[in-house]
Amino acid sequence: MMDYGYSEEGRQASLGDLQLWRRILRFAEPYKLGLLGAVVISLLITWATLTLPYLVQTAIDHSITASRLATAERVAGLAGNAFWYGAIIIGVFFATFCQIYILEWVGQWVMHGVRQSLFNHLLHLDLPFFNTRRTGQLVTRLTNDIQNMNEMFTSVIVTLFNEMLRLLGILVLLFWMNPRLAALMSIFVPTALLFTIFFAKLARERFRAIRSQLAKLNSFLSETLSGIAILQLFGRQETSRRTFEGLSAGYLDRTLSQIRLFGLFMPLTEFLGSAAVALILWYGGGEVLQKRLTLGELVAFISYMRLFFQPLRELAQKYSVVQSAMASAERIFQLLDTKSSIPQALVPATITNLEGRLEFRKLRFGYDPNNPVLHDISLTLRPGQTVALVGTTGSGKTTLVSLLLRFYDPQEGQILIDGRDIATLGLQELRTLVGVILQDVFILQDSLLANIVMDTGCGRQQVEEILTRTGMNRFVQKLPQGLDTLIGEGGTELSTGEKQLLSFARVLCRNPAILVLDEATAAIDSESENILEQAIADSFRGRTSLVIAHRLSTVRRADHIIVMAHGRIVEQGSHEELLERGGHYALLVAMDLQNGH
Amino acid sequence: MNIHTSTPDSSDTPRRIPFAQLRDLLLPSFRRHRLQVLGGLTALILVDFLQLIIPRVIKRGVDALESLTVTPSDLLRLAGIIIFIAVFVVLLRFIWRYMIIGFSRLLEQAVRNRIFSHILKMDAPFFEKRTAGDLMAHSSNDLAAVQMACGMGLVAAVDALVMSLAAIGFMIAIHPLLTLLALLPMPFLAVATRVLSAKLHRRFATVQEEFSELTEFSRSNLISIGLIKAYTMENFQTERFDRIGKKYVRSNLRVAVIQGLVTPLATLVGSAGMLVVLYFGGRLVIETTITLGDFVAFITYLYMLIWPMMAIGWVANLVQRGLTSLDRIHGLVTTEAMLPDPVPEKELEKLVQPGYRLTHLTFTYPLGSGPVLRDLSLNLGPGIHGVTGRTGSGKSTLCRLLARLYPLADGMLLFGGLEVNRLPLAFIRSHIGYVGQEPVLFSDTIAANIALGRPDARREEIVEAAVNAAIHEDILAQKDGYDTLIGERGVKLSGGQRQRLALARALLCDHPVLIIDDGLSAVDVATEHEVFAGLKRHFQGKTVVIVSNRIKLLSMTDHIIILGEGAVQSEGDHDHLLATNSLYRTMFEKQMQQDSQGEVALP
Repeated sequence: MMDYGYSEEGRQASLGDLQLWRRILRFAEPYKLGLLGAVVISLLITWATLTLPYLVQTAIDHSITASRLATAERVAGLAGNAFWYGAIIIGVFFATFCQIYILEWVGQWVMHGVRQSLFNHLLHLDLPFFNTRRTGQLVTRLTNDIQNMNEMFTSVIVTLFNEMLRLLGILVLLFWMNPRLAALMSIFVPTALLFTIFFAKLARERFRAIRSQLAKLNSFLSETLSGIAILQLFGRQETSRRTFEGLSAGYLDRTLSQIRLFGLFMPLTEFLGSAAVALILWYGGGEVLQKRLTLGELVAFISYMRLFFQPLRELAQKYSVVQSAMASAERIFQLLDTKSSIPQALVPATITNLEGRLEFRKLRFGYDPNNPVLHDISLTLRPGQTVALVGTTGSGKTTLVSLLLRFYDPQEGQILIDGRDIATLGLQELRTLVGVILQDVFILQDSLLANIVMDTGCGRQQVEEILTRTGMNRFVQKLPQGLDTLIGEGGTELSTGEKQLLSFARVLCRNPAILVLDEATAAIDSESENILEQAIADSFRGRTSLVIAHRLSTVRRADHIIVMAHGRIVEQGSHEELLERGGHYALLVAMDLQNGH
Repeated sequence: MNIHTSTPDSSDTPRRIPFAQLRDLLLPSFRRHRLQVLGGLTALILVDFLQLIIPRVIKRGVDALESLTVTPSDLLRLAGIIIFIAVFVVLLRFIWRYMIIGFSRLLEQAVRNRIFSHILKMDAPFFEKRTAGDLMAHSSNDLAAVQMACGMGLVAAVDALVMSLAAIGFMIAIHPLLTLLALLPMPFLAVATRVLSAKLHRRFATVQEEFSELTEFSRSNLISIGLIKAYTMENFQTERFDRIGKKYVRSNLRVAVIQGLVTPLATLVGSAGMLVVLYFGGRLVIETTITLGDFVAFITYLYMLIWPMMAIGWVANLVQRGLTSLDRIHGLVTTEAMLPDPVPEKELEKLVQPGYRLTHLTFTYPLGSGPVLRDLSLNLGPGIHGVTGRTGSGKSTLCRLLARLYPLADGMLLFGGLEVNRLPLAFIRSHIGYVGQEPVLFSDTIAANIALGRPDARREEIVEAAVNAAIHEDILAQKDGYDTLIGERGVKLSGGQRQRLALARALLCDHPVLIIDDGLSAVDVATEHEVFAGLKRHFQGKTVVIVSNRIKLLSMTDHIIILGEGAVQSEGDHDHLLATNSLYRTMFEKQMQQDSQGEVALP
């Protein structure tokens, strides 16, 4: 399992344990019948495990040591006990199986629910959020952290419940058999309990210390790996090695201190057990001599004492699992509580009869507000107009498109569609009105058809129609199984040009009023290039289109050209006008030609 | 007991024992801490025996009680013996835990440090093949598996062996036939566990695969979140995720069926043994073949056997996982770097004003499909060499080769007139200052980041380098000046600031060769000129290779190389190119003209 996700600190303890449990249980609510079933089975198992020593005891008292009875009778009594013993162990076998399965079933489905809501929540969060988070960390939340929580469901809750129940059951039985001896034994309960709690507290501190040191170690390792070339070039290997060994030694110290703690606790609970047995032998033996206790009961007492200390040890051992599960739960819920920073209109406006007028009004924007990358951008696209954006890398073209899609909100200014501020529209609505064709495309591991249709509900025929109209069917025909060709990982790999074509088909299926195209910068094979040109020509017709253009042919097709540099519009006009002016545009064109496009 | 819920990974099918790996990685630690291991194991075995004595004491008590030949003071004495033994057990248990588990941690540390120091020696091709995630996994998961096998695995194995042998021995001493009967169900458990674990293994492999699928789906979606949003695929993808998630749940439940069988089965078999003892042992007591005390002690021993029986499966799993991981770690630490790092026969003297000579240099990345540099012949002697060209023309690759990050065939590259493959890497690099495209900063203070190559540098020297790189003012503007922490937990610097910091780092080293791989691209033009002009006299007599797409900077260099598709397109000084290269001339004129508006760079 890829679990280097634990390069993180322990809990921040901002959500209380109780609150966490409440939220976890809310997810478990639909499965309360299953949980109830597990509880009932738990009761049965506990009853059964406690009955087994009792059967041995009665066998000893009523059959084995009953010397006044005839041998045959004694054997028959023994056989009866043995029969019940056998029946119960088979029953326990099935009950345990059911319990394990039910709990796993509940746990898995609850986790599935958590995973789904987290995934959905994440996908709806805004881009600035993703810029500040590492993807790896988010993936860890979705996978390992949820797995951790499941561990709690399937193993901890059962253990907690079963062991508590067993402890209680044993106490009741002991009192029933011999109240005085039982009372004497019960002094071990608070002792052992206090002892366990004290230990658990200490263990938690050590556990945290270990985790934070491991986090340091891992982040140092990760940093070293990402800067390894520089470290080598500057001859820093020796220093890095020493630092790492220092961190590693710190980790060792912490683990050793935990070993000392466990080394003390584990034998001490055993000692309590032995002490209890010694007490039973001495005091209980005295009771037997005074005929206040049968020998069978004494033996049963000794067996129950063995059972008695086992739950305590289990509980203490599960403590670390609980800790790590709670830490995971906390991180998951904190993420679920994160709100999107892109404000959504409470009552989103809808636009009917869209004309397709697009206006950028005095936009100012910086990813870091103090460092704007767009300055005072104003630009209007008339319905049906095609505008090309040109400029060097970093001039702000892509940022402009990001603002149009409301990945970010501008610090100043507005973007209007048909005179309405896009901030008043629903995000989904906006992104459906504005169709984008980006350089990159998200490919589903599925057929080409599924990749084009996605959730639009377009029929196969409709897709074929669109493809034929735009001439893109030529690209589909090249693929081995046409529209049914599997693409993506494990399937046919698409070239840059083909990816852009897919992106085109996808957007046309949605028939948006406004089209944004970020043209591929990478070289495209000439065949795709031809198909692309036709597709562009065809889809721009009748649509307001904004193109981040990298190809002369595309620029020439535009009604209007905007030249951007350093976040400002520096020139605009038609191809011929701009060429004549001999400014930025002329140079860009010259360089493009030089490089053979 | 939670034994079979551990997660076997896909490669832990039975395998032969990798002796070489064991010898290489584990033996040194075992040898070094042999007293500790031996002491721990002795304590462990002693504990086992002491634990076996306690039932004997109980047996004596019960027998005495049955025959009523016991006085309360006898009972007190027996209880005292139990307590006495228990105290010893506590002590010895502490000792074995501390010694053996402690040993496993020592071993873990040794292997961890070994992995790290090996990684430090590796070259760029190695890091292309091994991702950071892969290497991190080695030092966390694989290491943990080895530690578990050598710690709890070792303890459980020895413990189970001693306990079961002793318990069976005592049982045989009481009644051989009853022992045989009581142990009859055990082989059944062994067979059943084997069959079930084979099944479990296969089903678990499916779960692991689907877990990877789930991870990969999440990762690919989150990494392309912009695309998902642009195409409004949020709900669509959530549905797809739901499908994968459900499949994952179902596979897990298939595993749960087997796991649900394994644990109760072990209990069932243990209890079946108990049943046999209850019935047949009870009869033996009735027939007075054995005493009641024997009978009780027999039950106690049988209880003692349950744990070793269950432990065997667990130990086997731990050991197997440990061996698999050990194999992987061994594969890592025995990978040799492709870059030759020869040990010189005699002490090499520091070169004075070294330069490079490239002769028909052709280079392909180890995982690349075609050559990135083709037949490059260049003489890069003392002086400032500007390198320019489009993205993908090979500029960065050239810098990486000059910095000796990738291996080259003999005769392609001479450094200071010497064949690079004959020179130790540390020797070459001690002559080079390097500023990369993406400045790499470490989580440390600003001063420490500048002093990366010279940790002993005085503060004045650091400040001087910062002033020369025009970052001094920016540093003073930070809260703690030069002692400000940067990186993951510290302040974030802008791209331009990071680049200038990286430059200061290289300047502080003051090496005779300086390579700047587009290392000033995020610095604004005015500052770049200021820095460059200021440094020109500083560069006197040094070999400087600077990659840039800014013509004005290039015009200040002595020699300009224009790369295209991995080959030299044009080369010469500024005036020469101005006269002969039309593109260069156009670009230059435009940039002179547009000084006030910012500039156009090659896209």
